[in-house]
Amino acid sequence: MFIALIVCLGLILTNVVVGVYSERKISAFMQDRLGPMEVGKYGLLQIFADLLKLLQKEDIVPKLADRKLFLIAPCIIFIAIFAGFAVIPLSSGEYLQGSKAEIGVFYLLAIVSVDIIGLLMAGWSSNNKYSLFGAMRAVAQIVSYEIPLGLSVLCVVMISQSLNLQEISTQQGIFSSEGNYLFGIKSLGIDVSAVGGIFTWNVFRMPFFFFLYIIFFIASLAECNRAPFDIPEAESELVGGFHTEYSGLRWALIFLSEYGMMLLVSFLGVILFWGSWYSPFPNIGSVRLADWTNGEPNTIAGTLAGFFWLIAKAYLCVFLQMWVRWTFPRLRVDQLMYLTWKVLTPASILFVVLSGIWRMLMN
Amino acid sequence: MNSIIALSLFGIANLFLGFLNNRKILLPATLAFVLVALGLNLADWNQEYLWFNNMLRTNNLSVNFASVILVATFLVVAVSRGFGDDEEHTHPAEYYAIMLFSVVGAIMMVTFENLIMLFVGLEILSVSMYILTGTDKRNLRSNEAALKYFLMGAFATGILLFGIALIYGATGSFNIHGIEALVLTAAGGSAPALLYIGIVMVIIGLLFKVSAAPFHFWTPDVYEGAPAIFTAFMSTVVKTAGFAALFRLLGGAFTGVYGTWIYILYFLTMLTLIIGNITAVYQQSFKRMLAYSSISHAGYLMLTATAKVAHTQSSILFYSLAYSVATISAFAVLMVVAETKESNAEKTNENFDIFNGLAKNNPLLAFVLTVSMLSLAGIPLTAGFWGKFFIFSDAFQRGIVVPLVVAVLMSAVGIYYYFKAIISAYFKEGDVPAIELKPIYKITLIVTTLLTIVLGIAPDLVKSIF
Amino acid sequence: MQFWYFLTALTLLSALMVVLSKNPIHSVLYLVFTFFCISGHYVLLNAQFLMAVNIIVYAGAIMVLFLFVIMMLDLRRNMPDSKSNLTKLAGAILGGTLLVILVAVMRKTQFPQFSQMGGKFDTQTGMVENLGQVLFRDYLLPFELVSILFFVAMVGAVMLGKREAGERNF
Repeated sequence: MFIALIVCLGLILTNVVVGVYSERKISAFMQDRLGPMEVGKYGLLQIFADLLKLLQKEDIVPKLADRKLFLIAPCIIFIAIFAGFAVIPLSSGEYLQGSKAEIGVFYLLAIVSVDIIGLLMAGWSSNNKYSLFGAMRAVAQIVSYEIPLGLSVLCVVMISQSLNLQEISTQQGIFSSEGNYLFGIKSLGIDVSAVGGIFTWNVFRMPFFFFLYIIFFIASLAECNRAPFDIPEAESELVGGFHTEYSGLRWALIFLSEYGMMLLVSFLGVILFWGSWYSPFPNIGSVRLADWTNGEPNTIAGTLAGFFWLIAKAYLCVFLQMWVRWTFPRLRVDQLMYLTWKVLTPASILFVVLSGIWRMLMN
Repeated sequence: MNSIIALSLFGIANLFLGFLNNRKILLPATLAFVLVALGLNLADWNQEYLWFNNMLRTNNLSVNFASVILVATFLVVAVSRGFGDDEEHTHPAEYYAIMLFSVVGAIMMVTFENLIMLFVGLEILSVSMYILTGTDKRNLRSNEAALKYFLMGAFATGILLFGIALIYGATGSFNIHGIEALVLTAAGGSAPALLYIGIVMVIIGLLFKVSAAPFHFWTPDVYEGAPAIFTAFMSTVVKTAGFAALFRLLGGAFTGVYGTWIYILYFLTMLTLIIGNITAVYQQSFKRMLAYSSISHAGYLMLTATAKVAHTQSSILFYSLAYSVATISAFAVLMVVAETKESNAEKTNENFDIFNGLAKNNPLLAFVLTVSMLSLAGIPLTAGFWGKFFIFSDAFQRGIVVPLVVAVLMSAVGIYYYFKAIISAYFKEGDVPAIELKPIYKITLIVTTLLTIVLGIAPDLVKSIF
Repeated sequence: MQFWYFLTALTLLSALMVVLSKNPIHSVLYLVFTFFCISGHYVLLNAQFLMAVNIIVYAGAIMVLFLFVIMMLDLRRNMPDSKSNLTKLAGAILGGTLLVILVAVMRKTQFPQFSQMGGKFDTQTGMVENLGQVLFRDYLLPFELVSILFFVAMVGAVMLGKREAGERNF
């Protein structure tokens, strides 16, 4: 448990370093620029230089701000995101599991929604109209997109019959205690329990989950306030959104949580849809690719392998998020609300129905 | 039970009918829906059922109460006239749907066997009422009334819920028959103290909904602010359902410890009667007078709810029916007259003086108004008289003298303010042009008036069924 | 047990601060904190699902709407002291009486001890599966009918909130 705590903390800190650097490099590549090149080889040390600058900066609190709330808000945002990592199983076995709470994913959705309160506190206490506008937009957006997000998670829970993320993970591969069948349907008669690999991932057990993942991905982008859903921070109109007034370490904390949130929803997406910490390689006859690449749970090799696969898939999702950010223009407020209430929510309700039917077929 | 399911579906059907862009179809459709529900309800006659793990109990008592509610709903819908031709500012499909849904809540309150059902039913009914109160969006008073009703109602619901929680803590049961058994065994004094305070809180919550003093402060403002048609609905359906629930709790679950609540209720009955009747005397607005009159009628019904004798339930039922029919016809007359006057003046006038000279050009309306006023006042040869008579004789049999004396005195006061409307209709100078009534409206008015008179002459026609 | 006392003290303190804070925003934030403490109590009772629901619904949604409205109204500037001393006194007496009664009642009531329950204590009562069983078997009807309640509220909200023809365009 404590190992998991420390690993998660380290992960969030590393994530912001890796994330910022790769985001700048990726955006530069997409726009045919070079990106940071000055500090260190290929600008590798740029992010550390930035961090050093942030640490040295003065912690300014505006005169008319609500001082206590202003100071405490970034901490609340960070705590909310960090608490979300508690239930993420970082690998197979028990070493990197964190909390074994039965309600896992539901707790995650609950605790992440506390983020909103931090945002509102930050926006309101700054006593700045841009901040308040940013906070309002952020909150309206997050509250709305929580519905398709929650519904899409619900679909997976219906198929897996569990809220525990470790249980959901274990089901999607060779370590599953129940048998796995092709497309999850027993009556098809093709037992893939020993095959594993991508054939037992949730997107394969319930093929429509690929489309559900798109809903999940869009909703999770909005939850992170990432482009194209970044009207809360819309630089061109709101300066910086709810964190306009922040500087120095507190701003770094907000930034840290933002990148932490990106990683968190990527983890969640991978765990729920893309086979969690299982490798994508199946066992083909005597070529036991799945056995070789996964190792045994509760051994160091197996734990490391699972950790590697999870991180690799999660960063693929993070890359996808960056790709989207530098490709699509920002949505207008009305388009945003149209998308969630009239497109994503009905679609995800449809998927809830579909998942129910599929679950009945699976038995 | 079947009527609950049917009404829920009909409500949704009504919303879909709203898409048709044909406002004419809504009124007959809703009337048909209510009739079907009434038929389904009557199908349970003489059968005793428990539904869904003891959540609902249907028996003759519940069928009777539900029938009174459905008849009142039918009459209110019939006088609604499809909510006029104002295409832009009224949404009849939604109004009718919400009315049907609220009847679901009312029937739940009548048939509940589990306190959770009581709570859910009460909430469905209340939330519908908050919405219907605020439907006249351009009218500030309507907005104010809705907000006031909502805030106070939410508070009362909170108290009711707290009471239910405490009762559950004391008895470990939500089932009213389970509670009754536990209360009876605990009546020797070994009952946990939580029970008593829980019972008092539940009673307070319900008394708020039936607008008994001192929880009546919302009533005049809400009745005045809400559109007249919904005031009629509110003062009949909500009151009947509320008293059905109160009666089932007091007469059933809480009987074992009646020493706890009986004196509180005596006191509140007298307070309600005095406040309702005396304040009604000073009202200029007819609608406001009807609000206070509804408070005073709550007092009479409380008198019989506390006096538990063998035929209490038939007294409550008869009174509810008589009161509902008379109130609906009074509101119906008020609506047409106020509407005619409205086209001349800018602001809706709902004072007594709009009835001035009503009898000259509109003898039918004046007669309907007179009969309903007489019935509300309890003059012989109307249903209201027998309603009051049964209640008073119940109270007398039970031997509750002081509240009875107060009730008799206050019904004498009541005659004064009800006659004010009759006097302005017949003896005051005024000009009400002849009002063209739609056939369905006319038929409804004639039916309610006939019902009042027939029940006044031969009360046993209905009383024997109850 | 020690932790329970600590949590309860915290709950009561933050609930008191809801009433005592001058600034409405602070009140709401204390209320959120109170809900968190109550969620903590749920965890101690091993009612994990209720804990998460409590946070999602209250802290995550309802309180945020509260904050929204209060921030929009900006109560700091125009908050006249509308209550007269008489109302304050009456409120204090009424609330105080209720408090005294409730405390007295709680003191008089003998709650069953764990040993009296004959060891019939299921730690899994509050878990999702058991809750689902109870909800969809014993309490199916109220559960379904609550949907009517929400539906009515939704229809009403849309109907009342919809902008009518000819109304001011904000």
